[in-house]
Amino acid sequence: MSDALLTVDHLNVGFATRAGIVRAATDITFEIHPGEVLAVVGESGSGKSVTALALMRLHPDNAIVTGDVLFEGCDLLNMSDREMRATRGNDIAMIFQDPMTAMNPVFAVGDQIVETIRVHDSSISKQEAWTKSVDLLKLVGVPEPKRRASQYPHEYSGGMRQRAMIAMAIANDPKLLIADEPTTALDVTVQAQVMEVLHEVQAETGSAMMLITHDLGLVAGSADRVQVMYASRLMETGTIDQIFYESQNPYTMALLDSIPDLDGHREQLEPIPGNPPSLLNPPSGCAFRPRCAFAADVCAAEVPPTVVVGDQHESRCVRTRELETLGGEIS
Amino acid sequence: MCVMVCRPSVPVHTTTDRSVATLFAYVTRRVLISVPLLVIAMYLVHVGVSATVDPRSDFYLCLPRCQEGFDSITETYALDTNIFLRPFTYFADLFSGDGLGFSSSVGEPVGEVMRTRGWNTAMVAIPAFLLGAVLSLLLSVYSARRQYSVGDYFFTGLSFIGFAMPSFVLALIIQVIFGVKLEEWFGIKPFNTGRKTGENFWELLRDITLPAVSLAILGIAADSRFGRSSMLETLNQDYIRTARAKGLTERTVVWKHALRNGLIPLVTLWALGFSALLSGSVVTESIFSWPGIGQTFLRALGDSDLDLLMAIVMFTGVLTVIFNLIADVLYGVLDPRIRLG
Ligand SMILES: Nc1ncnc2c1ncn2[C@@H]1O[C@H](COP(=O)(O)OP(=O)(O)OP(=O)(O)O)[C@@H](O)[C@H]1O
Ligand code: SF4
Ligand SMILES: [Mg+2]
Repeated sequence: MSDALLTVDHLNVGFATRAGIVRAATDITFEIHPGEVLAVVGESGSGKSVTALALMRLHPDNAIVTGDVLFEGCDLLNMSDREMRATRGNDIAMIFQDPMTAMNPVFAVGDQIVETIRVHDSSISKQEAWTKSVDLLKLVGVPEPKRRASQYPHEYSGGMRQRAMIAMAIANDPKLLIADEPTTALDVTVQAQVMEVLHEVQAETGSAMMLITHDLGLVAGSADRVQVMYASRLMETGTIDQIFYESQNPYTMALLDSIPDLDGHREQLEPIPGNPPSLLNPPSGCAFRPRCAFAADVCAAEVPPTVVVGDQHESRCVRTRELETLGGEIS
Repeated sequence: MCVMVCRPSVPVHTTTDRSVATLFAYVTRRVLISVPLLVIAMYLVHVGVSATVDPRSDFYLCLPRCQEGFDSITETYALDTNIFLRPFTYFADLFSGDGLGFSSSVGEPVGEVMRTRGWNTAMVAIPAFLLGAVLSLLLSVYSARRQYSVGDYFFTGLSFIGFAMPSFVLALIIQVIFGVKLEEWFGIKPFNTGRKTGENFWELLRDITLPAVSLAILGIAADSRFGRSSMLETLNQDYIRTARAKGLTERTVVWKHALRNGLIPLVTLWALGFSALLSGSVVTESIFSWPGIGQTFLRALGDSDLDLLMAIVMFTGVLTVIFNLIADVLYGVLDPRIRLG
């Protein structure tokens, strides 16, 4: 058995809709190791949230999930509901995109944290749990935590609410934190602060983190490894350096060209032409083909398999071997 | 491996920064505002009732012969004064020894009639109210959780029938099936007509069941539809997903996190619906011969019993104001985003 904390093996998520099956996550295979930060990057609609929710079995009712998800050796997709509940919020905790709607408006923030603590350990008294919530709020940088704990979510600003969500997520010292675009809904000014808090608590608790984002810039300073998703599939997986400096995948390269350089020096930003394909009937072969600068006839034949291109580095592209020479020709 | 124990969740005490003093100040202010409102309403009602109801109607036929009676009634109700001034006489009498006056149709002081009949009405209306609240809540949660299931469609169909059917038709159907046919078919006597209200608890229960059920059904039809959409909306909220992600049981998610939010509009609806129950009593009590305010109201109308009519309208008005106030206060208590005051 590997030393992975989470092992995802050929995970598929489809939605049964009137128009047919929407394949929102296809053939997703990856691992997260203890204490590691794995960033999942991709355009809107590429299936990041669906994948994360499926891991927690929180996907919508019309989803069909297949594959294997092992957490510390336990089969998350097949364990009983009771075992799954004992895992949620305890071993694996989640932070959602929109802090304005992710907290229940009719319960005080402190009570919502208390609830998270006590549902997993009822031997803790309400008073103890309350004290712990106040401490947690303090830890994530909520000022006057004592007073703020008894306030309601609407009395918090967006940034403060996301801090409170983080406090709630780390309440039971989870081994894995799944943060689904934790800063996307926030003002630019507080995004950095919230990311900082997230990293502090992640470092402090030593938990692993799956950081979902569509912002490659955010990833650079905060992740150990990166996973690039496109049209429901993983396109490339590698370390930060491998992805940013030695990318072997045309989609990742195009994505990098569309954002400012790491040091903010890219002269010309090149948006990727066209739009992501429909997940209902994706193009044959490589889903990126219609927008890919390197596309050739071979790309239409079949979905490219994942190729190992280096230590910990994998890419999904049939032209991987030719890319080096081609890259020079095109640019 | 994989043996994880999930312990039952514990209800969480919710602290609130809303003080009792704020609430008290709010209620006091609202009550003070409603007094002039009620006075104006009573004035208009009195003018309206006086304009349409003439207590002397029976006397016109026999007129000069019964001039004496005619004159005494004219004097009692100050019918020779201007219609816009008459309410003042009524209000003056209200605070003098006459009180609410004398009911010509029942033959008792109005205060006495209101007390006994009001009690009878409460015995039907309160169970109907509770039944309506409980059933509409359960149906709301059920239909929302099983959206588009056979059960959901079934209750949707039922509620449309309930909507479409006039209350007197519904009451008549219930009366015929349970009050008449069952007696014929099974020789059981599920309920009686005309007799005074039940002497002991079981008789009372038997007597109020049919009127209470038919009174409650219309409200259930409307409230459960409304509650269903409210619960559906709530169950799709992000914070419900958060609640599940915390590891809460489905029961806590639905009955605590979703219900506390989905309930807010329903509670208002119930409180406002209480006055609808009172008007519904007019029909139900007449059909089931239940000697309550509703039945008495029809009789007072037929007999041009001015004092009794006024008392009933006033009573209903005050209750409506009270229930509106309760609705507002509950709304503020249930939803922390609403600021009282
Ligand atoms: N309940 C559903 N029924 C049908 N299709 C769905 C459902 N939920 C999601 N999808 C589809 O699944 C695809 C992936 O959605 P997902 O939310 O995972 O995208 P994402 O990568 O998280 O994007 P974003 O950056 O916008 O959050 C989308 O195309 C979406 O239309
Ligand atoms: S397989 Fe072809 S279309 Fe797809 S990324 Fe590689 S070169 Fe582009
Ligand atoms: Mg998403």
